[in-house]
Amino acid sequence: MHVPDGFLSPAITLPAYAAAAPLWALAARRHLGRDAADALPVVGALTALAFVVQTIAIPVPGGTSTHLVGVTLLALLHGPLLAFLCESLVLLLQALFFGAGGVTVLAVNALAMGLLGPLAGWAVHRLLRRRAQRAAAFLGAWISMQVAAGAVALVLGLQHRIAPEYFPVPFAVSATALLVPSLAVTGLVEGLYTVLALALLRKADLRGVA
Amino acid sequence: MASPDPRRERLLLAGWLAAAFALSAVTDLRALGLAALAAAVAFRRGMARALARVARLVLPVTLAMSALSWAFLRLGAPAAPPLQPFLALAARTLLLAFLAFSVLARVNLLRALAPWPAATRLVVVALAQIHALRLLATESADGLRSRLPRRPGPLDVVRNASGITAALLVLAVRNAREVSDAMRSRGF
Repeated sequence: MHVPDGFLSPAITLPAYAAAAPLWALAARRHLGRDAADALPVVGALTALAFVVQTIAIPVPGGTSTHLVGVTLLALLHGPLLAFLCESLVLLLQALFFGAGGVTVLAVNALAMGLLGPLAGWAVHRLLRRRAQRAAAFLGAWISMQVAAGAVALVLGLQHRIAPEYFPVPFAVSATALLVPSLAVTGLVEGLYTVLALALLRKADLRGVA
Repeated sequence: MASPDPRRERLLLAGWLAAAFALSAVTDLRALGLAALAAAVAFRRGMARALARVARLVLPVTLAMSALSWAFLRLGAPAAPPLQPFLALAARTLLLAFLAFSVLARVNLLRALAPWPAATRLVVVALAQIHALRLLATESADGLRSRLPRRPGPLDVVRNASGITAALLVLAVRNAREVSDAMRSRGF
């Protein structure tokens, strides 16, 4: 789902940085502004958890594989702002230390995968959790994946609309390439994973541990 | 091998960031070709390894998106769509990935981050935790494979991942507490 460097022009990446910067500052002030010895290790550990969950490859029929994202689980456990901070750090580490994703598109990826998706999933879960807890978690994670994929597709579509000579991939192609796997596989896998992980955490009474 | 001079490393990183944003605006094939030539001369040491990573990680996505889009546009038009924008997209994406791999291979990021101690500490803690948690996740995946007489399917992996997440969360929290105690004992 990551957009690589070169797919989006500064006309989109720079405003995305302008939108993400105050949110990063707010998240850092709220979650890192306290005593550094308390806050920093927790943010580092949750970032590592999100990073490692994303390395778990799920085999898909047809010989390819997808991977878990796990950021919805983080949003349900600790709130969307901390999920955004951790996912942004994951994307930064992936870009700087492992050469995955990109630096120019970091803000776009962070806003789509770290903020909009988890925020939608968190809101759906909050809305439905009193009626059916497991269904709320599943639906929250599934919707989170669709919102993130939809946001990335919309941004790519916008890039095609404002400069087709820069990005010749039409919206129909980027939307199909992103939403079909997300609707059919990634969303279901993420939903199932989130339900099972929450059930295990509840069973072990670990929700408050972090 | 990383350069021993941190100032040079910071300069290289800053130059790379500026070049990445500047190149991400370029659509002209000749300009991209010249930039690629300059990058090949500047980063000729380790070029084969960087190109192999580009071919493995970036080329398939770019080629697949370009081929699908070209076919989609061809269906709705009487004439074949121009190739230039697709070539420019591929050249830009591959060049940016090559630059990233080449620069990052020459920089010790932790040393370059030294003027920002809070950022350095956060990165160090996150990387150390990633290492510890990945070991556990890998062992768990190996355990799953050894327990099953067949290749693990998607459901097996998801079920196992959910279980290991609980263990990873406990380990992450325990490690965070240990790091927190260690930081406090050193005066933070």
